[in-house]
Amino acid sequence: MRMASLALARRFRWSAAVRPDEELIADALGGQTEAFSELSLRHRQRVERLCQRFFSDQEIARDLAQEAFLKAFAALATYRAEMPFGAWLRAIVVNVCYDELRRRKRRPEELVGDFSEPELGWMQLVSTATPEELVAEAEERRESHDLAHRLLDSLKPEDRMVLVLKDSEDLGVAEIAAMMGWSEAKVKIRAFRARQVLRKQAERMMSAGRARVAK
Amino acid sequence: MNCFEARQDFRSFWRKELSAERRGAFVAHLAECAKCDAAFRTFALTAPVFHSDVEPARPMLLAARVPAAARREGRAYREPRRVQAWLSIAAVVALFITGASAAYISVETPDETLSEAIHQPSQFVEVVSADFPQANSDFGQ
Repeated sequence: MRMASLALARRFRWSAAVRPDEELIADALGGQTEAFSELSLRHRQRVERLCQRFFSDQEIARDLAQEAFLKAFAALATYRAEMPFGAWLRAIVVNVCYDELRRRKRRPEELVGDFSEPELGWMQLVSTATPEELVAEAEERRESHDLAHRLLDSLKPEDRMVLVLKDSEDLGVAEIAAMMGWSEAKVKIRAFRARQVLRKQAERMMSAGRARVAK
Repeated sequence: MNCFEARQDFRSFWRKELSAERRGAFVAHLAECAKCDAAFRTFALTAPVFHSDVEPARPMLLAARVPAAARREGRAYREPRRVQAWLSIAAVVALFITGASAAYISVETPDETLSEAIHQPSQFVEVVSADFPQANSDFGQ
């Protein structure tokens, strides 16, 4: 009976008013775990997407997203409403991903390692295609993501973190500094150095790709 | 459009957020500015991770492609049978019980007790006299 009513509620959810995050948090703190499930469902896609910006393996990204939700649930009592729940959750996700990045060994040597045929094809496109073709092709080609991850994997975890937060998540220097517990000057220096390193690594990768094609 | 404006628009161009007019100006600038063009190509190497909201699916592995292709062609495809773990454990236990039973049945249980067996004169033990070794024994030749 309860299942049927739940299914019915789900089916006609569009007609019901969307409950704000704060209300769901209060319910979850009051012991209603299904309120936290609804919160998780609401934010899941964004959380997974953020994890995927750090890790190419979708299973790992999903695991980390789950770990972040578990940590958020455990620390829910410490949440203060001055900050939107999404931003609070993002800080947890970023810390989970940062810990995982530091745990993993960086392998810059793989940057110029073996390229598959599709990867070489994508690198050739990057050199020759028009900007509009590049955007269209990147949406279709999995190798564009794989190569991008390979390039980013060669960065130090701190550098990668700053670039993702600044360029992809559109966060300001002050926000990143607060989230990572760094000074604003450190964030600026990190961002500048990260871009320099990334440019050099990109050139290295492209020249290795050209050498492979020439063989 | 100048170089500064073009570089500010890299992300919006990738995310298709520019108006048609601005998009045209952006492409025209890149066509005539080699530095901005090179910078955009470097940007394109990481943009799929930084600025795309969907990731293209990873191509299926061969192991997954074969059954899928067979199904597409309408051929009967039978999923490989997976032996349950409990079935293997049951088989090992049954084998052990059978072996143990066979060993128990094949060994004859003696009727006599241990003390009877010790004190009974044995046909293999020769009681020798004081004039040991005898002349006809192996030791006293």
